Amino acid sequence: MNNYLDLSIKEIHELLVKKEITPLDLVEECYTRIEKNSDLNCFITLNKSEALEYAKKLSEEPVEEENLLWGIPIAIKDNISTKNIRTTCASKMLENYVPIFDATVIEKIKAKKMIIIGKTNMDEFAMGSTSRTSYFGAPKNPIDKTKITGGSSGGSAACVAGTLVPLALGTDTGGSIRQPASYTGIVGMKPTYGRISRYGLIAFASSLDQIGPMTRNVYENALLLNELVGKDPKDLTSRKCEIEDFTRLIGQDIKGMKIAIPNYFVSNIVSDEIIKKLNHVVEILKNNGAEIEYIDMKYLDQAVTLYQIIAMGEASSNLARFDGVKFGYRSQDSHSVEDMYANTRSTGFGNEVKRRIMVGSYLLSGENAKIYYDKALMIRNAMKEEFDKVFQNYDFIFGPTTTTVAYSLDENLDDPRKSFMDDVLVIPVNMAGLPGLNISMGENENHMPIGLHIIGNYLEEAKMYQIASFLEEKLK
Amino acid sequence: MSEYKTAIGIEVHCELKTNSKMFVDSINNYGGMANVNINEIDFALPGTLPSVNEYGIMLGLKAALALNCTINKKVIFDRKNYFYPDLPKGYQITQARNPIGVNGYIEIEIDGEKRKIGIHDIHIEEDTCKSTHAETKSYLDFNRNGVPLIEIVSEPDMKNEKEAMAYLEKLKEILLYTNVSDCKMEEGSMRCDVNVSVSKTEELGVRTETKNIGSISSVGRAIVAERNRQIQEIEQGNTIVEETRRFDEKQNRTILMRIKETGNDYRYFPEPDIPPYILEDKLINQVKESMEILPDRRREIYRNAGIQPINIEKIIANQEISNYLLDFSGNLVIASNLLLGEISAYLNKTGKKLAETTLSKEKFTHLVEKLDKKEINNQIFKEIVETIMETEEDLDKIVDAKKQDEIGEQELNKIIETIVLSNQESIEDYKQGKDRAVKYLMGQIMKETKGKANPVIANKLLMQKLNEQ
Repeated sequence: MNNYLDLSIKEIHELLVKKEITPLDLVEECYTRIEKNSDLNCFITLNKSEALEYAKKLSEEPVEEENLLWGIPIAIKDNISTKNIRTTCASKMLENYVPIFDATVIEKIKAKKMIIIGKTNMDEFAMGSTSRTSYFGAPKNPIDKTKITGGSSGGSAACVAGTLVPLALGTDTGGSIRQPASYTGIVGMKPTYGRISRYGLIAFASSLDQIGPMTRNVYENALLLNELVGKDPKDLTSRKCEIEDFTRLIGQDIKGMKIAIPNYFVSNIVSDEIIKKLNHVVEILKNNGAEIEYIDMKYLDQAVTLYQIIAMGEASSNLARFDGVKFGYRSQDSHSVEDMYANTRSTGFGNEVKRRIMVGSYLLSGENAKIYYDKALMIRNAMKEEFDKVFQNYDFIFGPTTTTVAYSLDENLDDPRKSFMDDVLVIPVNMAGLPGLNISMGENENHMPIGLHIIGNYLEEAKMYQIASFLEEKLK
Repeated sequence: MSEYKTAIGIEVHCELKTNSKMFVDSINNYGGMANVNINEIDFALPGTLPSVNEYGIMLGLKAALALNCTINKKVIFDRKNYFYPDLPKGYQITQARNPIGVNGYIEIEIDGEKRKIGIHDIHIEEDTCKSTHAETKSYLDFNRNGVPLIEIVSEPDMKNEKEAMAYLEKLKEILLYTNVSDCKMEEGSMRCDVNVSVSKTEELGVRTETKNIGSISSVGRAIVAERNRQIQEIEQGNTIVEETRRFDEKQNRTILMRIKETGNDYRYFPEPDIPPYILEDKLINQVKESMEILPDRRREIYRNAGIQPINIEKIIANQEISNYLLDFSGNLVIASNLLLGEISAYLNKTGKKLAETTLSKEKFTHLVEKLDKKEINNQIFKEIVETIMETEEDLDKIVDAKKQDEIGEQELNKIIETIVLSNQESIEDYKQGKDRAVKYLMGQIMKETKGKANPVIANKLLMQKLNEQ
């Protein structure tokens, strides 16, 4: 068996250019690995025959030498709309839903001639932090198959960490890229809100959702981000930005960079083995000329509460379209429209989704909207301002990505609140719309990965890749 | 019963005259074949997002300015959440918290008395699908989904059906003249919901809402019916509850549809998919400056020009004629008589619009001058109207040709003499005061001259002849 997928994208590209391999070799290897590791349950839908056919076609075309991503296999989280490929959001509600249009990011990926391998497993409608709310069963952590992958982008994280596919797309509403990246030891970026068009991303919480790349290393992450960004007339919340190469600062020195570590991020909510790893990173940074200061930041401890109010409020509205009228699952034995709604939604949605819709509806009901939602938006603004203040004096904010390493698949199943606490350190970034990046700081004594969370200022993803790549090199 | 005071508030939905829909880029055109002007966004397929039709916002702004509203410069949209099959997203995008215009008014006039009716707010929103119910099935037409609407909410300022109807006429007129909406109630592009309450005190009574009334005159009848019903209920010792009713045209009464539950819970919150849209002062001024002259201002211009009130209303009722008169600088009275008289008759007969005729502004001005100087009279104009409206021929030439063609007065006199002498019976009739004798003789003259007699002159000569007999 070939092991081309263990090579870096650059190395693979060279082989493609030299005609030593073809995209078909890569795609075949992907499916061999996926089938061999089917117990990981990374995928909900495989695009096998279409991907093989497209790879064959590409193999007969000239290689685009300037396009490092030409012919490279990629996995897509199953809440991103893919034309003619079933898109389920890991829900019974969309079990048989095949979209008629591509998300804007999918159009971009196709334009670069990447090859879509399949749709990855996730928490149902991205609601969860373990991927265990999937209607199709939880994916498993390739580092230790008894452990969770994290979530909601668990399938994407697992297939990259398990080297089944080199690249994947995830989505991040409250840590759903960075937290599973941390649990599986890969690189996951949630870019600045608005960097990437959300058109075709099946909305969970519109003001927080963002698509992002999940990869094996920092360079490849920046490479993939290059192709995903851009203002999209179909998404009014997407931002118009200068075209930039996110890899351009990689390899540059980090001397003089100022890093803040909020005390809350290293408080007793974080396990000792993780604090120890972070201290090690701090030493490396200091030894290389970066300045580190521990600071107090307001509102960080309220982020989860804000998240619950804003995300669930928006979700209760975003998921109203799944009513059995137009597409997706419809309960058959109903005698009135009201019956049909109730039956469709009670059997089509899983428990976590129903719980969040109910809480969200309650939070927006009558006077509650003012008491909770409006107030949450106010504190959210205050939190943004708090971040702005820090970034006036610092280049980055650092902390651990998670409070613990990945836990067992059968742990904490009966406590829905636990799921939110898994994301306590990453949620503030979504609240502020800032970019956040996870890279691995190493592993604990049981070989479970420990993640570093790098928060940058708005639109400073390139600088984040610079310092992340520097640390990646030092931590090897 | 007269001790009861009635308070009436009206909510009007109008479709905006845009090419595409409000929050989707599909075509704004429904009424034809169902479900052709739709795309994945209309269908609310998972992952789709709204866009914003800026022209729709401009029309909303224009309406708000024309209705004397204070403008909210930060245009924010909200989601109104409820489940109904005609609502694909499960929410309607509307403006609940920051409507584009607030605190406006419309001036109405009843029996010469002017009164301002307050406008609480005007907001922009999207229409729902059209549903059609058959025996066991329901059908949805998504063409109407997303059609841009403005909702104009009045204060409960109207005291009777006359004021309500005057308010609606005025509102319709303003929206028509500003080209915001075509306001066709019969086609549903303007829809009215009427809130009515009665009370013996200064405090407002409990109101009911009568929905979707089909015409302005029906609004008047519905108000009377609902007021009478409420008074009767109260007199019988019953209380009025908040409820939604409809007006049955045939029975001439309102009928209960549903009792309103305690404060409909639409779970409003700001639409996160649409960032605030800022209306710059420059833009607001542009819209103000480019605004069409409103009907009341036009009435003033016509009044000052000496046009009769009855004709003023006729002009206002015909936007094409009113616009035609706007930049006309000659004799407005003659011009309006011409337009309302022979030209309207011609247009009605041929089914044409003014713009479809060859009557240029210059030709029209020239024509009015000729009439003003009495070079031609209305009678002659009547005979040359078709040539004027259908050919590019020079007006002077048309008039000259008409005159040349006419039989000279002497010759005409001879013909008339012959006709009169050979119609003794008619002379007798005339002497006995029978008018039809003149008509008959004129007919004979025209027949004999093959229509080439100037009817005015012929009539004059005929009368002379008759009186000589």
